[in-house]
Amino acid sequence: MHFLPKFPLHLNSITLLGLTLLLGLIGGEIAKRIRFLPQISGYIAVGFLIGSGGFNIVNQSVLANAHLFIDISLSLILFELGRHLDFSWLRHDLSILYMSFAESGMTFIFIFGVLYFLAGMHVLPSALAATIAIATSPAVVMMVAYDLSAEGPVTRRALILTSLNNLYALILFIILAPMAQPDVLLNYNLVTFIAYRLFGSIILGLAIFILIKFIAHLTGKHKGNQFVLFVGAVIFAIGFAHTIRCSSMLTLFFLGVAARNLDRQHTLMEINFGWLARLFFILLFVVTGVHLQLQELWEATWIVLLFIFVRIVTKISSIWLFSKSSRLTKRQSLALSFTLLPMAGVAIGMSNILIDFNPNFDYRLLLIITAAVVILNIIGPIATQIAFIMTGESLLQQNSERS
Amino acid sequence: MTALIPFKKNETLTIGIELEMQLVNLHTFNLAMEAEDFLRRLSEISHPAEIKPEITQSMIEINSSIHHSYKSLLIELQAIRNILAEEARKTHIGICGGGTHPFQKWKEQRIFQNERFSSVSEQYGYLAKQFTVFGQHIHIACSNGDDALYLCHALARYIPHFVALSASSPFSQEVDTAFDCSRLAIISAFPLSGTPPWMLTWDEFDEYFNRLADLEVVKNMKDFYWDIRPKPEFGTIEIRIGDTPLTIEKSAELAAYAQTLVSWLLENRQHLSRDIYLTYLINRFRAARFGLNATIVDPIQKLHLSLAEDILLTCDKLKYQAIKLNNNEAIENIIRAVTNKNNDASELRKHYEKLQSLPDVVRVQTEKWMTS
Repeated sequence: MHFLPKFPLHLNSITLLGLTLLLGLIGGEIAKRIRFLPQISGYIAVGFLIGSGGFNIVNQSVLANAHLFIDISLSLILFELGRHLDFSWLRHDLSILYMSFAESGMTFIFIFGVLYFLAGMHVLPSALAATIAIATSPAVVMMVAYDLSAEGPVTRRALILTSLNNLYALILFIILAPMAQPDVLLNYNLVTFIAYRLFGSIILGLAIFILIKFIAHLTGKHKGNQFVLFVGAVIFAIGFAHTIRCSSMLTLFFLGVAARNLDRQHTLMEINFGWLARLFFILLFVVTGVHLQLQELWEATWIVLLFIFVRIVTKISSIWLFSKSSRLTKRQSLALSFTLLPMAGVAIGMSNILIDFNPNFDYRLLLIITAAVVILNIIGPIATQIAFIMTGESLLQQNSERS
Repeated sequence: MTALIPFKKNETLTIGIELEMQLVNLHTFNLAMEAEDFLRRLSEISHPAEIKPEITQSMIEINSSIHHSYKSLLIELQAIRNILAEEARKTHIGICGGGTHPFQKWKEQRIFQNERFSSVSEQYGYLAKQFTVFGQHIHIACSNGDDALYLCHALARYIPHFVALSASSPFSQEVDTAFDCSRLAIISAFPLSGTPPWMLTWDEFDEYFNRLADLEVVKNMKDFYWDIRPKPEFGTIEIRIGDTPLTIEKSAELAAYAQTLVSWLLENRQHLSRDIYLTYLINRFRAARFGLNATIVDPIQKLHLSLAEDILLTCDKLKYQAIKLNNNEAIENIIRAVTNKNNDASELRKHYEKLQSLPDVVRVQTEKWMTS
């Protein structure tokens, strides 16, 4: 019986990847049954349990296999996020722009101030940490909204404010991150490199937009075709941006912005990535959980707690400050500020890019970001879910009221 | 027991309209669950007319003031349209006409949470969400309850006119229904829909209402979903058969047509026969199905008539009344549309043929209503 498998079975990485998805699904369903706990929390918890912090079931090869999916899912999220940045809305309601400047500006200034003046960190790490703090996790906001079928004025504002604060963070990060390289000097080469990455990414996003417009014109307005067109364009953009050393994040964001605002002939359709997005999102959050190291929590010093506290307070207070000019109710303002608290994928992505630039960069910055992500991964999705429920914009809320 | 409100007496032939409007998401052009927030925003600014919630969160209702003429009604409607469009742009939603939304899924609709709509939802189950359809109601003042009942039955002959002229719901649940007005099929599902009972005096009607109220079938006149009904608290009859047109201008023209017709019917009292209802439902169906291309049956004269020709003949009869009421411009516009066999349903089909996408059709509908 030599053909029978040998015990104990050695599960290959594809099997483990499938198992990761299945367990994630179960974790999400368990979380769904607990009031105020979003499904995302279930995915992250499962990830943590099967990761090295828990039962250590998944290994590096599983994560390597998942890497492509994670990249695609993050890119689809950034593309979608760009599509939420609708200039026609901003033209008619400038208060959104003021609110966005306030929440992003105050977050940057106060976090920078705390890290530079109180924690004694250098200017660049403080500025980079403040930049990363600006961005709300688009994946969390979109996933919670999707899970709850949330629709309404707060949901739409949460998405456009998330889109705007990610735009500021991405641009600032592209400017600041190259300065983290060892022994770098602010010279002509550095400035041209930053300008190349910044404007190159924007131009590449616009060029891919023209390309997909052309293809859409040829293939017609069919949902099936345009679904493949968008996914193909997103995958192409990730690879090509990397090849020409541009920022894939900014490229995809601007591809989305262009698709929303420059498609004057309405050649492109509104495509719902639906089941595909769900699959990627589950994987994304389970893997986020795998990477969670709870010991970061115990190492969280007062700087980390202060970082989180200042971020929460500035986001809530700045939204509050502009709620009247945006004609939001008190409840809507509070809910909107809650939706801006999550911090996850984009922050992790930015930290990884920083490590690429300089593996020995200020360790405190990376500690603050990873620890803050641990904590905000726990409270962020819950805060977002509470926000959508308290405004009555979730279908879940209507159904539970009826039953 | 709830008693029927006495019929309020009105000496002049005033008009007013109610318009049920669609709120749409400007990215997907699906219906947007924004009524509660949008109504709150509107309550913070001054505006003419009254804006109210409707059964689901993606609907609002515009109630005009009382008007003596088409012109003043049109001016008020244009003013409120401009204010609504401006407020909608600020919060980034669209507003459009049309009797149905072409691709909304009724199960995704959310009931507007107030006492009345929660009770309707409780009573009618899934029909309440399916009631996410959009109509225009035209109120015309009457001097007494007997006149109101006379008009309800006299106007039955002309109900297909209003169906075909206002028809703007060719698409429903993602398909071309082959109807010009698919909205009526939804309303017919309600048990108290149809036509008022054959009663010609207010005393008889009062007794009828009280019997149903005693049996706890109805509480007030709002419980009757008839195509046309008396509204005693306003002292009006309410023609409820029409779809919401694609423009405010068309809405005002239909109100003018109704006012002129009522004026003619009051001055040229018709002999009423119950036989009119022999072909009422088939005529109503044909007008909804074929629009201005329908052929209707006159059971009194035993004739088959082209609906378009019947409208044109009626407009001809109304010429004197139209001049007297200063409605001739509206009647001229109706004659032009009928001569060209052009209603909103045919226009929407042309847009779909060109754009091949229902969200794009709603985009055009939205641009048309907000900027017409």
